[in-house]
Amino acid sequence: MKGVPATASGRYRRIKTGLACLLLGWFFLVPFLRWDRGPDLPGQAILFDLPGRRLFLFGWEFWPQDLPIAVGLLVGAASLLFYATALAGRVWCGFACPQTVWTDLFFAVDRFCEHRRIPPVLVKIAIALLTGFGFACWFTDAPTLAGRLLGGSAAPGSYGAVLIIGGLTWLLGVYAKQRVCLHMCPWPRFQAALLDRDSQVVTYQAWRGESRGRKRIPLREDLGGEPGGTRGDCIDCTRCVAVCPTLIDIRDGLQMGCIGCGLCVDACDTVMDKIGRPKGLIRFDSETNANAKSWTKTLPRPFAAKPMLFLSVAVLALGAALFAMLTLSPLRADLDPQRNPLFVRLSDGGIRNDFLLHIQARQPGLSTLRLRLAEGEAGLLRLASSGDHIGAETVDVTLDQRELRERLLITRPAGADAKGRSPLHLLVQDARDGRLLGTVETQFWGPES
Amino acid sequence: MAQRERDALTGRLTTGHEWDGIKELSTPIPTWWITTFLISIMVALIYLWLMPSFATTKSLEPGLLGWSSRGELREEQAIAAAAQAPWRQRLMAVPLEEVSKDEELRRFVQAGGRALFNENCAPCHGVGGGGQQGQFPALLDDDWLWGGKPADIIQTVRHGIRNTDEESRQSAMPVFGDSLSKEQIANVADYVLTLADKSKADSRAALPGAALFKDNCAGCHGENGEGGRDFGAPRLNDAIWLYGGSRDAIIHQITSPRMGSMPSFASRLNEESLRMLALYVHGLGGGE
Repeated sequence: MKGVPATASGRYRRIKTGLACLLLGWFFLVPFLRWDRGPDLPGQAILFDLPGRRLFLFGWEFWPQDLPIAVGLLVGAASLLFYATALAGRVWCGFACPQTVWTDLFFAVDRFCEHRRIPPVLVKIAIALLTGFGFACWFTDAPTLAGRLLGGSAAPGSYGAVLIIGGLTWLLGVYAKQRVCLHMCPWPRFQAALLDRDSQVVTYQAWRGESRGRKRIPLREDLGGEPGGTRGDCIDCTRCVAVCPTLIDIRDGLQMGCIGCGLCVDACDTVMDKIGRPKGLIRFDSETNANAKSWTKTLPRPFAAKPMLFLSVAVLALGAALFAMLTLSPLRADLDPQRNPLFVRLSDGGIRNDFLLHIQARQPGLSTLRLRLAEGEAGLLRLASSGDHIGAETVDVTLDQRELRERLLITRPAGADAKGRSPLHLLVQDARDGRLLGTVETQFWGPES
Repeated sequence: MAQRERDALTGRLTTGHEWDGIKELSTPIPTWWITTFLISIMVALIYLWLMPSFATTKSLEPGLLGWSSRGELREEQAIAAAAQAPWRQRLMAVPLEEVSKDEELRRFVQAGGRALFNENCAPCHGVGGGGQQGQFPALLDDDWLWGGKPADIIQTVRHGIRNTDEESRQSAMPVFGDSLSKEQIANVADYVLTLADKSKADSRAALPGAALFKDNCAGCHGENGEGGRDFGAPRLNDAIWLYGGSRDAIIHQITSPRMGSMPSFASRLNEESLRMLALYVHGLGGGE
């Protein structure tokens, strides 16, 4: 078939198929995992709640201000990718990249439909739309999404995601295919900086392959053939070219078009088996070893300096992100001093400051919070809309939908030192057990003299 | 008109112009571009027809859809009013003192009161309700010139202070610069300065201003300067000084008094709005 690479079978094909099943399963099924967070919160284990501007990840809930954690995770993931590349070449490109997984899936569809009178285009459209649906599932309640989409009650964004991601899947997986790897993707351009002569890449062992020729041409003497033989192990069957998803000829040497998927290794090993020659004419190996004309391949060197450097960056970044995730504050409290006016004087000479208190609780189950000032700081607290009194040492506030937005008036009684600007610490406690949930630091303003 | 000819090498038409043997290939604007351009013109014409586009001598020709930004605003206001209607009814159904016991209603009143305050009161009393020294009283403190109960605040807001509204709060402080000498005024000021100081409660009676204060000021401001709500006469025995607490400022105020005035909001605010506003202001300073 035109444009569809031939089937290979062997070790790397099996790894690719297994990994593709795992990754596709992850992509399509994980949104259906459930996680009980109580009645008011979504019950989806992993949910990107865009309207609510929050991310649910099992027991965690992330808000926009937690972005540094995402930076840590992304830097860690990128460093792991660098590590894997420095160690074992383009394993990401060849095995795990979504472009590879989906293109491979569409090739499989082509091969499956070839002799079965099923129009492959219909299957591909279905897969593309399903991919869009799977994508949308990460952003909304997955089990009910299909019903809502068909019933017309889904959010416009869900329809948009299905159509746009579906369309992109079609464009990239069915139309563009290897062109994405060759012309669009920036990642191959990084390769040169990450790979060195000891990295594992797909290599054609030219020293035993050349010169190519038909099987009937006698084999070279140093390969075990007869004297006067001229042919190397390569019988020029071009199976390695036929199975290549990026349509290159690996026998020309390492090149940017090679995504390191290992299918040519499988194809060549199959042929070598058939003609009774040792496997490994094309194999994952280091360039150094290929030049050394060795029959045995080298293994990746996990403790070399460059991979270790990337690994240490990854461990640092992921460790920092994990630490931040484990010590995430159960709530966020802001106390903004209102600047008009900075303070007012009360009839007994006390000084009152006006604050806007904003609390968001991350932890489910928090309902009543107790506010008090830090030890040694004089002041009475009062919510602007409550009662007819000056204030109290502690104030209990009730959250509404895990949030609270109130004006908090803090009064330093006459006699307490309230001159100029002084630090103020508001403690937020759980009213049930008095556990300290957070401390807000701000300033208290008084007259200069 | 030059002869059109086809270039042998590229197979494309030339423009027909020739400069010293060099001919230019014809590169017309792409069809998709021309089409888009024409469609844009069509869309513009349809837009002119549908939307208000032409001024007439009186106003604006309304266009086929009859759209106007003013009408759009009216629709949005009607939607907002309809959404608020049940809340406003609920607010009118309960006594003022019990509004804060209904948590949902309290939130509605706080949100609505804040919006009303920023629109009507903030220009003078400040967004935070801090007032302005020497001009407008602070609403964040615990001092109320005309009474700090919600009903008092509603009365003050509805009819205002010292304006042409017949029911507005009225009072005036006499100009003592005409009737008292400078020395007498200074003596009264010295006496007033001791009022807030409890330690001088016994000694102040001996001051030369004591008798003058009793004759001229106590009628409105009270024997001990505790203020008089009926006249909006400020307390003089506390730490709050609307027109300044220095000796010079007090002398100035006695000599030629300043008195604030506040407009009547009866024509601007309806009963529900007055209630929301009064409860909001009441909550700012703690009320009474």
